[in-house]
Amino acid sequence: MGSLSEYRESDVKRRILPDETTDMALFVRTSDEDMSFWNRQRIVDALVKEACVDMAMVEEISKEVQEQIIASKISVITSPLIRELVNARLIEKGLEKARKMHTRLGVPLYDVDQFILHPNKENANVPHGPEATNLTLAENIKKEYALLSVFSQSIGDAHMRGDIHLHDLGFIDRPYCSGQSLEYIKKFGLNLPNALSIAKPAKHPEVLLAHMVKFAAALQSNFAGAIGWDAVNLFFAPYLVDLSDREIKQLAQMLIFEFSQQAVARGGQAIFSDINLYWEVPKHFEDVPAIGPGGKFTGKNYEDYASEAQKFVWALFEIYKEGDGTGRPFFFPKPLVHITEKFFKTDGHEEFLNHICDVAADKGNTYFVFDRGGTAKISECCRLSFKLEDQDLADAKQPWKMRYSALQNVTLNLPRLGYVSDKDDSVLFSKISDLMELAVQAHIEKKLFIEKLLAHGDKSPLSLLTMKKDGVPYLRMHRVTYLIGMLGLNELVHIHTGEELHESKKALKFGLKVISQMDLLSKKLSKKYDMRFVLEQTPAESTAYRFARLDLKYHSPQSGHYVKGDISRGETYYTNSTYFAVSSEMNPIDRVIKEGLFHPRIEAGSLTHVWLGEAKPSKESLANFVIKTFRESLNDQIAFSPEFTNCLSCGKTSRGLKDDCPCCGAKEVEGITRITGYFTKISSWNKGKKGELRDRYRNQGFFGNK
Amino acid sequence: MSFPIKGFLETSFVDWPGKVASVIFLSHCNFRCPYCHNYDLVLHPDQLPTIPFEQVIQQIKKYKGWVDGVCITGGEPTLFPALVQLIEQLRNEHMLIKLDTNGSRPEVLKKLIDNHLVEHVAMDVKAPLNQESYSNCCGVSVDLEKIKGSIDLLRKTFISYEFRVTAVPTLLKKENLLMLANELKGSEKLTLQNFNPEHPLDPGLKNIKPYTDQEIEEMQEEMNQILKGSNKSEGSAFFYSKPATRNL
Repeated sequence: MGSLSEYRESDVKRRILPDETTDMALFVRTSDEDMSFWNRQRIVDALVKEACVDMAMVEEISKEVQEQIIASKISVITSPLIRELVNARLIEKGLEKARKMHTRLGVPLYDVDQFILHPNKENANVPHGPEATNLTLAENIKKEYALLSVFSQSIGDAHMRGDIHLHDLGFIDRPYCSGQSLEYIKKFGLNLPNALSIAKPAKHPEVLLAHMVKFAAALQSNFAGAIGWDAVNLFFAPYLVDLSDREIKQLAQMLIFEFSQQAVARGGQAIFSDINLYWEVPKHFEDVPAIGPGGKFTGKNYEDYASEAQKFVWALFEIYKEGDGTGRPFFFPKPLVHITEKFFKTDGHEEFLNHICDVAADKGNTYFVFDRGGTAKISECCRLSFKLEDQDLADAKQPWKMRYSALQNVTLNLPRLGYVSDKDDSVLFSKISDLMELAVQAHIEKKLFIEKLLAHGDKSPLSLLTMKKDGVPYLRMHRVTYLIGMLGLNELVHIHTGEELHESKKALKFGLKVISQMDLLSKKLSKKYDMRFVLEQTPAESTAYRFARLDLKYHSPQSGHYVKGDISRGETYYTNSTYFAVSSEMNPIDRVIKEGLFHPRIEAGSLTHVWLGEAKPSKESLANFVIKTFRESLNDQIAFSPEFTNCLSCGKTSRGLKDDCPCCGAKEVEGITRITGYFTKISSWNKGKKGELRDRYRNQGFFGNK
Repeated sequence: MSFPIKGFLETSFVDWPGKVASVIFLSHCNFRCPYCHNYDLVLHPDQLPTIPFEQVIQQIKKYKGWVDGVCITGGEPTLFPALVQLIEQLRNEHMLIKLDTNGSRPEVLKKLIDNHLVEHVAMDVKAPLNQESYSNCCGVSVDLEKIKGSIDLLRKTFISYEFRVTAVPTLLKKENLLMLANELKGSEKLTLQNFNPEHPLDPGLKNIKPYTDQEIEEMQEEMNQILKGSNKSEGSAFFYSKPATRNL
C-alpha cells in the first residue's frame, strides 16, 4: 500500500515555495497527524516509488497538480486529496496501471460516522461497539486491498458484479475456518508463537478448559470463520475420572458460558465455536492411547473412558436445556451430536437421544449430524464438515495431528446464470463450468497470497499457523480444502424450468442435475490443479441478500419475478444454497427427504432446517423422527429451530416471536431465532434475512398443539 | 365406504408422544365443552368439506416408513358407527392406532380394545367425577356412570392410555384438579392441558386469562404426586380394580 507519509515535510530547507504563491503559505495535512509546508517533491517520490512512472512524466504531473492547487487559492490541503488529484492526471494521461498502483484505500467521513454510530448488519454475530467499529473499518480497507491487490481484475470484477461472492474479503490475510483436536493443547500445552507466557500441558480439567478457550481465541485471530473442536466430551474424559456428577456439571456449565460469553475478543465478536460430541466412543478413537493430565499417556485407550465421556456430554445438554441466566438458548458453542451405526449399539442411547431431543424441542441447540456407514466427520461453521479420509484416519491414531482447514469460500450466483441462459440446457451448463473455473482461479490467487504470508515463517503475520509442535506447520497447506458454494438453486430452477424445486419432480430432478454436474466439475478441477475443491452449502447470511439486490439492478425486470421477499421494503433474498423455498408448505418429512437428496453431492456439508416457530413437539416423537431421518433418508444434518421472545423489561423468555412480552406486557422485547446456522437476535439481521424470516413456513400444524 | 373425515394432518409430532403419527379428525360430538376449539366439527360438521378416504390412504402410503400410526380424534370418534371399519382399513396399511375419546361410550371402547384395534387411548376427563362439575364442564347433562365405566376399563386394560384434563381457570380451580387427581389415583398418567382462549365454543371464554405456564407446571407436579400415591391424601373414590400395568 502506498505510504501517505511520502508527502510529509521532513526537511524544511528543501521545501519549494513556488514563486507564484508569494503571499500564500500552503499547508498540507498529512496522515501522520502533522502539518507540513507544501513540497512538490513528495508527489515525485511517491509516483516513482509506488507506481514506477518515468521521471519526465512524474515531473510533468507534479507540476500540473501544483499549479492546480495554487490556482485554487486554498491554504490547507490533505495528502489524500493531493493523491487523488495526482490520480486524476494519471487517468488523463492514460496511465491506468500506475493509477491503480497509486490508489489510496480509505473510507469517506460519512461512512466512518455511520460505522461508529450504527450497528453492522453484515454479520449478526458482530455486536455494536468501538471494537466492532474497528473491525468494520479494518475489514473495509482489507476488502478494498483484496479486490485491488490480491485478486486479478477479472476476479475482482466478477465479485463486484455479483457473478460470484468471495467470502470474508475483510479477512483476506487469513484462511477461512479451522477444525481441530483438544489433543494438540493437551500434549503440547499452550505454547504459542509470540505468547507472553508459555503454559505446560494442563493438569486439571478447568485448566484444560482455559487453554481450550484461549487457543480458540488465538485461532479466531488467525482464521476468518468458525473454530470447531472434535470429540470434545471424549478428549476431556481422561481429566474427569473420579469427578462427582456435580463437578462434571459445573465444568460443563463453565465450558458453555466461557464460549457463549467470549464476546470481548476480535471485534467484540463471540468466537463462532462448534463442539463435536459423541455418545459412543467413535470407532476411529477406540484403541487410541488416551492423553491425560500433564499431557501424559494414561496407559489406557479412549474406549476405557466411555463412561466419563457420556457423563460429560449428558451434563452439557443439561446446561443447554437450562439456557442462560434468563432462560434464553445459548448462541455458542454449537453442539453437534454425531449419530452413527455405533450410536445405536451403545447402551443408553435411547435416553440420550430423548435428552438431546428435549433440548432440540425446547431450546433448539442440538444439531444432529448423520455419519452413515463407515463415514466419520468433523463438523463446524454453519454446516461445513470435513470427511475423514484414509490419511485422516491414520492421523487419528495420534489425534493431536488432526486439524482441518478450508482456505476460502467462493459462492456462485446461480439465478444469474438462469437469466443469461435463456432456458437452454447446454448454454446453462457451459456457463456453470465457466463460473466454476472462475471460482478456482479465485482460490488459486488466494492460495498464492496466503503462501506468500506463510513464507515468512515465524516472522509471518500468520506465525501461529507456522508453528511446528508436532513437526509440521499447524496449517498444512497441502491438505486444506477450497470451498465452492452455491446460492439460489431454487430460483435458478424456477427461471430455467418454470417451477420451483418443491413444485414438481421435474424441477427437483433438474436441480439435482445441476448440483451433480457441479460436484463432478469440482472433482475434475481438483485433479487438474492438484487442489481439493469441494462443494459446500454456503451459509450466505448476507450473500443471499447481496445477489438478489445486484440481480434486481442488473437483470431487471426479469429478476423481479424470481427474487424472494418484499421488493417494496427492500427485504429481498434468494433461497440459500440448495434449499427449497422457505415459504413452501412442505411436510417436514418431505423437506428432510428431498433436501437430503442433494446432501451426498455436497461433500463439505449440508443442513436441513426444520423451523418450529412457536410449536413445541414431543421429545420422544422428535427422537423417533431423528432415527428415521438417519435410516430412511440421505440427509446429512438436521436442526430444529424454535423462536423466542426475550423481554428487556422483566427479563423473561417466552416461546414464539411476539410484539410484546406475554409475561409482563412490556413492548421492549427482543426476538431470537436461528439465522443461517446459529441463534442470534433478530434486531441484528440484515434486510434480506428479515424478509426470509417473514416468509418462513414454520410447520406449526405438524409440531404444535392442535 | 365414506367416512366423515373433516380434517387430516399427515404427520404430527405432538399428538402421540414417541410416535410420528397422522391425525384424522371426525365430525360430531355429544359434548358441548365451552372451551372446545374444534367446535366447527361439533356444531356445523356439514359445512366442512369431507376429505376422501382414498386421499388419506394415499398420504399415509406416501410416508410409509416414517409414519408409525394414526391418531383418530374429533369430534367424538366413538359416536361414529363405522369406526371399526375405518380402523381396519388403516390396519391394512400397518398403522398403529391411537384413539382420542371423551369416554361417553365405554361399550365402543371395550369392543376396540377386545378386538385389538387400538394401541393407545387418550381420554379427556372433564372435571372431578360428580354430576354437577362434570356437566358444567362438558356443557351437557352427562351419564357419569359411563364416564366412570370408561375410566375403569382403561385402568384394567393392558394397552397404554392417558387421561387428560383441560383447565379453564373459571371452571376448574386448583382444588378441583387435585380432587380429580385423587379420584384417578394409581392411573398411569393424567396430563394437565392449558386452555387456549383464541377460538372457544363459548365466546364468553375469550377474555379469560389462562393459567401461566408456571402454574400449569406446578399443578401438574402436584397431580403427578397424588397419582403416584406418594402424598398423604385419601385413596381413590370408587375404583375396585387394581390399575393395569402398562405393557406395550
